[in-house]
Amino acid sequence: MVSTLHHHPPRSLSRFFSSSSTTIKSRSFHSKPILCSDQSPSSTSSPQSQILSIRHSLLSRHVTATQLAESYLTRLKLTEPHLKSFLHVSEHVLKQAESLDHRIDRNENIGLLAGVLVGVKDNICTMDMPSTAGSRVLENYRPPFDATAVKRFKELGGIVVGKTNMDEFGMGSTTEASAFQVTANPWDLSRVPGGSSGGSAAAVSARQCVVSLGSDTGGSVRQPASFCGVVGLKPTYGRVSRYGLMAYASSLDVIGCFGSSVADAGILLSAISGHDRLDATSSKREVPDFTSQFISTELLGSKPLKGLRVGLIRETLDNGVDNGIKSAVLGAVSHLEELGCTLSEVSLPSFPLGLPAYYILASSESSSNLSRYDGVRYGNQATADELNALYGDSRAKGFGPEVKMRILMGTYGLSAGYYDAYYKRAQQVRTLIQKNFKTALDENDILISPAAPSAAYKIGEKKNDPLAMYAGDIMTVNVNLAGLPALVLPCGFVEGGAAGLPVGLQMIGAAFDEEKLLKVGHIFEQTLQGCRFIPPLIADCDAQ
Amino acid sequence: MGSRGILLLKLAPPKHYIFNKNTISISSSKVVIRRCSTTTTRSSLQPPDVLRLAETARISLTSQEVEEFGPKIRQVIDWFGQLQAVDLNSIDPAIRADTETDNLREDMPKTFENREAMIAAVPSYEEPYIKVPKVLNKE
Repeated sequence: MVSTLHHHPPRSLSRFFSSSSTTIKSRSFHSKPILCSDQSPSSTSSPQSQILSIRHSLLSRHVTATQLAESYLTRLKLTEPHLKSFLHVSEHVLKQAESLDHRIDRNENIGLLAGVLVGVKDNICTMDMPSTAGSRVLENYRPPFDATAVKRFKELGGIVVGKTNMDEFGMGSTTEASAFQVTANPWDLSRVPGGSSGGSAAAVSARQCVVSLGSDTGGSVRQPASFCGVVGLKPTYGRVSRYGLMAYASSLDVIGCFGSSVADAGILLSAISGHDRLDATSSKREVPDFTSQFISTELLGSKPLKGLRVGLIRETLDNGVDNGIKSAVLGAVSHLEELGCTLSEVSLPSFPLGLPAYYILASSESSSNLSRYDGVRYGNQATADELNALYGDSRAKGFGPEVKMRILMGTYGLSAGYYDAYYKRAQQVRTLIQKNFKTALDENDILISPAAPSAAYKIGEKKNDPLAMYAGDIMTVNVNLAGLPALVLPCGFVEGGAAGLPVGLQMIGAAFDEEKLLKVGHIFEQTLQGCRFIPPLIADCDAQ
Repeated sequence: MGSRGILLLKLAPPKHYIFNKNTISISSSKVVIRRCSTTTTRSSLQPPDVLRLAETARISLTSQEVEEFGPKIRQVIDWFGQLQAVDLNSIDPAIRADTETDNLREDMPKTFENREAMIAAVPSYEEPYIKVPKVLNKE
């Protein structure tokens, strides 16, 4: 899937696909809620955020929460047979919307996320619906608690619309490793949405929900964000509580946010961040107000990012990266320069070693974390007359092949005699990578790279070659090894599908510096001319 | 894209991925970094015994699975082997990313409110026991 787009000078970003032939000054579709029915648009001075737009519409009584929920659910039902983003759709959405409407009628205070429909990746525990992690071993499992992140956005009025599809236990980059279904990319139904948070990315891309939660261990939020043309935000390790996130690799996992704009991803992050006594790895650091970054473009000067030092990671534009991706990223570089940034190239020499180091650490930690799925206290139980057979058969029947392989590889890596050769060395490589990043981020405010070496590929293309699939993670894993925050936002297109395939730009920040990433991302997004990121699947819906 | 992926990993030696010793200064220590190899190298350690690993991990594999997984696992583990060629002598292993230490809560038990839901999730329950089959001693 090699793109043949040529690199054009910066002004021609409008040569990239535009879903209508009109050129638009800014991404104006943000200023009106995406509804299929004819609703009056909110005022043009509202910020470029679906969440804030919804809040404005609800408080000004332009629309009710019930109408809003109905419109999203209608679109969800229309698109689900094609997309299959959801493993479970909640039956309580309208009831919750109605009760919100009563509160609004009584002029009671409503939370920042009131009326906002949120998709939740199925490895994040939700109390009143199944949580399977995409695996048969947890088919029909209903957790007795909500994950802290879920509890927090619900407290602010967010409504869980359903549980999204994923590669089993987070192990995969396409959702093809889900035990239940494969999710399609809304931009081209024959292509993968990315993974492992493919369902969450597709759901936001197709506007089946407003925002969604995913998890990112080696790129599982950022790569699908790139493939689906949405914003994906991976916070710093420790920024968001992992309580209720089914562990894959405990030293790498984080819960991340998807939105159709940087502002929405940032607002969702602010809703779920903060210390949690139930997660010993959650940081006690104060959480700044992420929502104050999202100023309107009218208030920006001509070079709003003047003085910002941006480092392009040289090792991410080597051979193996599609020309179309390089082109889109170089286009983004020009755009950043126009905004006043100072660009330079940085080298992270240990970068390529991160991939094998990551897979050693992730498979080793997962072999330990998945040992709890033994058919005894929860999940599917095989019939056996002896305990070890109960374990062996429950796990054999419940786990898919990719999960089994990674558990076995991890078991090997942690075996006596091999620990020093593999796990310990991988941890040493982790130290090197952390040092490389620290040096680069001392000299630069943010680093940038592609989010993936290609755009979305066809379903079935990589299924039988594990190393080929792992190779695609090279842009993302090092960020998890270093525990840093990163934001992926759509920056262009390559050829493919009916309307082109989106390409995401990854921005990496210093630890706990999500504020800066969101500020830069928001300004980049709001000033990106001629690019609309609405998949053709729902383009008709949007036009009404 | 699939063929490109294979190009990255199976041909030897692709122009970009050759055994190239570069001496690079990182902070104050000198580290020799070998460029990332995506060709497989023979690991000097015992190759993985899939059946034994499956027993350790308590997963009952079928003979077809053993046959199928064996080469794939060996291929990935050989690929891991390239880390052995890197000089990591003076480097401390990093357990995780964060550096905050004092994050323990007090050791006070707290009742979990939703016991019923927890018990409802147990596949075989006979109040008050979670039921499992007998444990046979291995000879």
